[in-house]
Amino acid sequence: MNHEEWLARAEIYALGALDGEDLTLFEAHLASGCSSCETRLRETQETLTLLPRSRTPLAPPPAVKARLLAQIAGEASRPQEKRLPGWLSWGVGAGALVAASLLIVLGWNLSVTRQEMQRLKNQVAALGDEVNQQQEVVRFLSDPQVRFVQLAGLAPSPAATGRLLWNPVKHAGLFLSSGLPPTPSGKAYELWAIAGSEPVPAGVFTVDQGGRVLYRLPPLPETKTFDKFAVTLEPASGVPKPSGAMYLLGSL
Amino acid sequence: MSADLKDDPVQLIQQVAGGDREAFGRLYDRYASLVFTFAVRLLNRPSEAEDLLQEVFLQVWRQARTYRQDRGSPEAWITMITRSRAIDKLRSIRRIEKSLTSLENAPGVKSGGTVETVSEESELNLTVRGALAELPEVQRRVLELAYFEGLTQSDIAARLGEPLGTVKTRMRAGLERLRGFLGAKAKGELS
Repeated sequence: MNHEEWLARAEIYALGALDGEDLTLFEAHLASGCSSCETRLRETQETLTLLPRSRTPLAPPPAVKARLLAQIAGEASRPQEKRLPGWLSWGVGAGALVAASLLIVLGWNLSVTRQEMQRLKNQVAALGDEVNQQQEVVRFLSDPQVRFVQLAGLAPSPAATGRLLWNPVKHAGLFLSSGLPPTPSGKAYELWAIAGSEPVPAGVFTVDQGGRVLYRLPPLPETKTFDKFAVTLEPASGVPKPSGAMYLLGSL
Repeated sequence: MSADLKDDPVQLIQQVAGGDREAFGRLYDRYASLVFTFAVRLLNRPSEAEDLLQEVFLQVWRQARTYRQDRGSPEAWITMITRSRAIDKLRSIRRIEKSLTSLENAPGVKSGGTVETVSEESELNLTVRGALAELPEVQRRVLELAYFEGLTQSDIAARLGEPLGTVKTRMRAGLERLRGFLGAKAKGELS
């Protein structure tokens, strides 16, 4: 193939518009280490920054900066806290040990406040839970049939994400979320396995303060082929058909 | 705008990677308007653009250490984060609208708020806008459908009822003109 054609694909790829066979071929070509395509891709990405610059600039609402600064201040004060998607790393066990040792050392230091001790204890407990959760995920993943479904946050909580480990042979699933808002009293999230356009209830759950849950799906009808999964907000007892706003959606 | 243009954005990102919140504030001041303007264009909903702005900068804070200067300018990095998060949202909204229309209460279009424009525009923005206006309409249209709407080349061909080859040619011609403009601008700055 004429190399100019690869460069053409690099440009359309940078624009995010390459698809079909063009996309497959180009990604393979790029992975083979073509430096001129790599360079063209970068140059085009730089050129494209002109497009957002071409709009009349809008002033961002001042509240956003204040919210962000408050949010990152909270993060910086908890540097040990592990964030998703760290579930699958094996480093957490070591992290728990470090936190536990810290607890002992701090115990000898009279200037340490009770609150600090309590905070660290909670952290150790949380890390312990996280280790257990990881082990469950790893056990589930050991089956080669398992597929990975990414669920994206929708309008009510765009920052939320979900991941479903789905075993289409056993019709078994393990669902993990992060960033879902806390549920109001009397409400819970309901997970749906969707076969074509038919949603089948896959259980209700609530989330922790970080909007996280690790949830094992109940047995689902084996006669159906599920290709999509969604989460809606429903009455806490669950409903047979979705009725509330949809928070997450993803396809196999 | 209060952004200090004398700050080197690459250095700011490095400081942010080291947990410097003050540098993060300056980086925000420099790019927030660009990200917000882009987000409003992408999502067409000011309230969601506001959420996106927050998400983008949170990602910048968390991933600053993964930024590599040799892989692109800070502006390209930040606009790519913005675009990719917005397109993900747009695609999931479209998927719902397409395949789950039977579900009641699917997330609807949020009512839009009003947004203020920045009073002083940078000279660069004005010049870029001029250059874009000179782009033939058919070229600008395919670039905008891809870049702002997240459509692929085949989607665009179907949408416009044009052969795929024509769409590709127009995209490349549009990009070529933009690149020519950038090159001219760089030369102008040097001279």
